[in-house]
Amino acid sequence: MRHLHKGVSFAIGLTVLGATLAACGGGGGSAGGSGDGGQIELSIGTFTEFGYEDLITEYERLHPNIKITHHKTGEGGPYHQNLITKLAAGSGLEDVVAVEEGHFSDIVDKGGKFNDLTEIGPKDVTADRWLNWKYEAGKDSGGRLIGYGTDIGPLAMCYRKDLLEAAGLPSDPEGVKALFSSWDAYFAAGDQYVARTGKPWFDSAGQNFNAMVNQLDVGYLDRDDKLTLETNPGIKSAWDKVTTAVAHGQSAKLVAFSNEWKTGFQQSAFATKTCPSWMLGVVEENAGAANAGKWAVTDAFPGGGGNWGGSYLTVPKQSRHPKEAAEFAAWLTAPEQQLKAFAAKGNFPSQTQALTSPQLQDETSAYFGDAKIGQLYAEQARKVTKAQYKGPGDGQIQENVTTPALQAVEQGTPADQAWQQVVDGAKKIVK
Amino acid sequence: MNTRIGRPNFFVYAALTVFVLVSLFPFYWSFLVASRDTSMLSEHIPPLLPGGNFFRNAARVFDAVEFWKALGNSVIVSGTVTLTTVLFSALAGFAFAKLRFRGSNPLFVFIVVTLAVPTQLGVIPLFIAMADLGWAGHLQAVIVPNLVTAFGVFWMRQYIVDAVPYELIEAARVDGCSVFRTFVSVVLPAIRPAAAILAMFTFMMSWNDFLWPLIVLNPDNPTIQLALERLQSGYYVDYSLVLAGTTLATIPILIVSSCSAARSWPASCKAP
Amino acid sequence: MTSTVVHEPRQRVRVRPSLKERLANWDVKVSPYLYIAPFFVVFGVVGLFPLLYTAYVSFFDWEIGDDNPKFLGFGNYVELMGDGQFWHAVGNTLSIFVLSSGPQLVVAVLLAALLNMRLRGPTGWRVGVLLPYAASLVALGIIFANLFGPRYGLINSLLESVGLDRVEWQANRFASHLAIATMVNWRWTGYNALIVLAAMQALPKDVMEAAVVDGAGPVRRFFSVTLPMLRPTLVFVVITSTIGGLQIFTEPKLFDAMPGSNNGGSTNQFQTVTLYLYQQGFEGFDLGYASAIAWVLFLLIVVIALGNFLLTRRMGRIR
Repeated sequence: MRHLHKGVSFAIGLTVLGATLAACGGGGGSAGGSGDGGQIELSIGTFTEFGYEDLITEYERLHPNIKITHHKTGEGGPYHQNLITKLAAGSGLEDVVAVEEGHFSDIVDKGGKFNDLTEIGPKDVTADRWLNWKYEAGKDSGGRLIGYGTDIGPLAMCYRKDLLEAAGLPSDPEGVKALFSSWDAYFAAGDQYVARTGKPWFDSAGQNFNAMVNQLDVGYLDRDDKLTLETNPGIKSAWDKVTTAVAHGQSAKLVAFSNEWKTGFQQSAFATKTCPSWMLGVVEENAGAANAGKWAVTDAFPGGGGNWGGSYLTVPKQSRHPKEAAEFAAWLTAPEQQLKAFAAKGNFPSQTQALTSPQLQDETSAYFGDAKIGQLYAEQARKVTKAQYKGPGDGQIQENVTTPALQAVEQGTPADQAWQQVVDGAKKIVK
Repeated sequence: MNTRIGRPNFFVYAALTVFVLVSLFPFYWSFLVASRDTSMLSEHIPPLLPGGNFFRNAARVFDAVEFWKALGNSVIVSGTVTLTTVLFSALAGFAFAKLRFRGSNPLFVFIVVTLAVPTQLGVIPLFIAMADLGWAGHLQAVIVPNLVTAFGVFWMRQYIVDAVPYELIEAARVDGCSVFRTFVSVVLPAIRPAAAILAMFTFMMSWNDFLWPLIVLNPDNPTIQLALERLQSGYYVDYSLVLAGTTLATIPILIVSSCSAARSWPASCKAP
Repeated sequence: MTSTVVHEPRQRVRVRPSLKERLANWDVKVSPYLYIAPFFVVFGVVGLFPLLYTAYVSFFDWEIGDDNPKFLGFGNYVELMGDGQFWHAVGNTLSIFVLSSGPQLVVAVLLAALLNMRLRGPTGWRVGVLLPYAASLVALGIIFANLFGPRYGLINSLLESVGLDRVEWQANRFASHLAIATMVNWRWTGYNALIVLAAMQALPKDVMEAAVVDGAGPVRRFFSVTLPMLRPTLVFVVITSTIGGLQIFTEPKLFDAMPGSNNGGSTNQFQTVTLYLYQQGFEGFDLGYASAIAWVLFLLIVVIALGNFLLTRRMGRIR
């Protein structure tokens, strides 16, 4: 009984101690404090790898009155959920907030919550710093520039040389150009491949469909933010082509980035793959050493070119130091800095000067047969002529409507039933 | 004397062994991957024995994230939350179970009903509240919302209702004990098994909490799950690194659980 | 004659209670409120505001980032009642709930009975049984994907090797429920078993011994003596696992082949109500609608939990 008294007192004491420690020890300051002597605190939020670690240290060195906190989240999902929560709460966002291209459509109609970078950013930072389509895609639906472009994911086509050879299809760089010259040619080659080997041509219908839709002049939403699904011939045509290919057995029916998809690389489950620049690393890691030299990448991409991925740096209105934040973001997205980030983590630059730099042009990949990937992807980036407008809900339609619907088709749902699912789902999102 | 019913035979041990093996499997598997290479995951026939990489991967974990700081924060948060939850739940549970007061039934039902509210959207208003209080970024933002839970109160009340007979309480009252003295001398010893297990649950839940700390804490003040999540950056995740991290992070839970479980026997004497 | 000493007639004097007695009375009156105060103080600070906020928001057409939401009255709720995807999710939730909670509780009680025996190394068994609850979600996601993968999964490989058909664990609605229920059961059975075990340990031994003396066998003892005496704890376990089961979120989200997806599969075949709520709130930004879903789910849970509660009480009375 005695010791219980002691136990309880001990417990209470520990609680008080813990709470005190917590109160004192919890040092993290919130975004944007202003200390003494003009000391400015900035915070920047990123996800996965932007390659900014050394750059931040350098910026602090160049600007001794600025202290930067880097808020890094491993995965994009939790990161964007955090972003949305704080947008909803009205506080807590960093001074510089990275937003991925796929999520940009989430904020495109909330431009009022973000600063217009042409107003608060350095005056010498103009549109010609970036590829035109990248710059345009950083604007909100009112035409205000709310994001400085960081990196991009120009599309190329990866293919298994050995599998194509075994099927009697050309596998040399010149030969595959014919195979991949257009989507019709691509799917026709797929039919041939299936006929000769009985094995799938590509990994997932959704991957190809997304690339195809991205190349259209008008995407899921038009400039008035109206749904175009039922009147957009490009989308329906892409849908028909892809679902026909699935019906012909061309799809390995794997869900991109799922467990089985990763295994699929090892198991040589498919022969071609849409490859944005960042996918090269993924292919290499998933396919492993056993398949080294078997994968190749070509700049012959059906429809010309395209882009998947990339991000922007935004400065929310919540920031207490918008001007300094914009300067910082502008510095980070300058060609020199982006090249350093590219060297560190492989994020492909979107800045025109960076694309012509020798450092980029000389970049090769041993895994892909020493292909000159820097040059290749720079070319692919230039092939993209315009930014497709991605209205509010665009990203959602792709993630939650068309991709699952194509999955359903791969799982056996009839294509027209799945199309109805797409239309219903998209209407619900855009209502 | 603690008489447990029945003498366990072979089948009992067999059944328990199967159950525990199935429970343990993910931990062993995590250790397996952590001691080898991520490429092991793609192999059709996975290996069954650990490799030699564990310490190397563990060292990488320490390099990649502020492991000790995050661990310390998690210990503070989870430790505090566990202590307060058990204590306050026992207090409230005792009051609802054994003390008569106006409104006891409606208040208790209210507490149970709050459990039914889905919490996914709550992060938004909760963050607003924390920001208003100026706690965003500090550990109290993670501690205070979890100081006492409806789950704990509900459980303690159900447990105390039967585990502490009225006779004992009456005896204590007759002896002149104050209510608090009764609580400490009669109730606390009697609820040791439930308190120990509630401590285990609360500690584990707090230790593994991810979403709320992600939203409300800052990067220089992470808990262990936040620090580990940073290991998953990049389009290609190095699972041997990530699972090395989670294996390391599970060790404190095992320690706390074992200590709690060891104390989850009823006290030998119930009389004060 | 015994002389009775004449005393003063006993006067009904109101003796002022001593300080000690007054304190004791005050103690009994006030203590309960003090003891429940910590919960309500914490709740008042951090629990009440979110409840009121989501309730308030549910009456508006409130998009995240919206500064001037339109008042809808019950508009969101009316729309919800006609929402096919919502009812689909309700069906999924109920299905997974039945598949998981039922077997889980039975196994948990049996497990507790086993753990209650005179075991060697009892602490180890208890910790071992609770471990699934502590497992990292990253590991769980990969392991269950490896088990239930439609193409390369272990279970399908085993089925094929004995000549049976592969099961479409992801695509098929019922199969996905079964797989998710397995995940849930794996994670939570030990947890519930320990709760029941704690209560079993507290059962008065004299009643048990009396039953032994009466010649009741272990099974009979279990059903006629142990279970009825466990009623408060069984009520607790039934209610909390009902609530938890109907709020299932993590397991179906982990199960989805598309990482991080809240869609619950290609045709929402395993989207639970909480996943739908989350999708509407954080992907659709429709906070008002999501809040309405939350409150309707709340009502559903209260109704079903109440039903289960009454059921459990009745079952206890039958013996």
